Amino acid sequence: MVFLEAEMSWNVLISPSQLDRKGLLLRKAIIVRLMEDVTNRKASKEHGYYIAVNQLKAISEGKVRELTGDVLFPVSFTCITLKPMKGEIMVGYVDRILKHGIFLKSGPVESIFLAEKSMSDYKYIAGENPVFMNDHSKLEKGTAVRFKVLGFRWMEADREFQLLATIACDFLGPL
Amino acid sequence: MSGEEEENAAELKIGEEFLKAKCLMNCEVAIILEHKYEQIQQHASESDPSSQVSQVFEKSLQYVKRFSRYKNPDAVRQVRETLSRYGLAEYELCTLGNLCPDTSGEATALVPSLKSGGRFVGDAGDEKIEKMLNDLSLIKKFE
Repeated sequence: MVFLEAEMSWNVLISPSQLDRKGLLLRKAIIVRLMEDVTNRKASKEHGYYIAVNQLKAISEGKVRELTGDVLFPVSFTCITLKPMKGEIMVGYVDRILKHGIFLKSGPVESIFLAEKSMSDYKYIAGENPVFMNDHSKLEKGTAVRFKVLGFRWMEADREFQLLATIACDFLGPL
Repeated sequence: MSGEEEENAAELKIGEEFLKAKCLMNCEVAIILEHKYEQIQQHASESDPSSQVSQVFEKSLQYVKRFSRYKNPDAVRQVRETLSRYGLAEYELCTLGNLCPDTSGEATALVPSLKSGGRFVGDAGDEKIEKMLNDLSLIKKFE
């Protein structure tokens, strides 16, 4: 899982109530509003998850919106993002264990499914705390696992990615 | 399942904008996010007690703190310098810095594009990779 620092532009809308104050507070208001907007946006299909705004590069001249009186400031900034890629090696930990597979979580990515089919040498052991076991290791809730991304899907409704994982390669599996 | 069928991180086909964007290793992100977290806490206590960090931020911070191998900022810088000497793509550099493989076999299994690029060919290539991994573990030792 590799974090990227990408350059982006965004339009920040400032309401007139925040324009009464002096210039310095305006810049702060723009930064705060930008961070709020990025936080609310959470993720996009194009860039992946927005982790944090890094640096503000430039604030262009504001344009007044005729009807509402808000001012639109085009802003360019760098942002730390995270986008899963097919074929990528990632590390996550076990969240839920079911008979047909395991659900993993890795950083901001909450839905990662590891199918039982790709863990052919592991056996499912039912019980109050179900686990998957093979001859020399165990996969239970909280175990850190290194896996490969087989594919992913962008879920527009939840604004998140769903990943399909596998550990059927060398050097993958529990750490 | 995914719309971008041509993308494949293993072969370094990851889309123009990602090849150009700067990649950050977990340890570098940890330093940045921790700093930001402190800034936001300060800002919150001064004026607006309700400004909180997002879920995405919190989870990412937890994740990079848990999985970053190098904690010292100087060590982190050295890791980047060391890896840059071997002509790696940004993406490969960060993947290796994050996963810290022990052997050249593990490195090539985790980052297949190392072999396909024509930079680490044959046995001499394996030795070069081993040397690179050795340099990394030395930094860890003297952190």
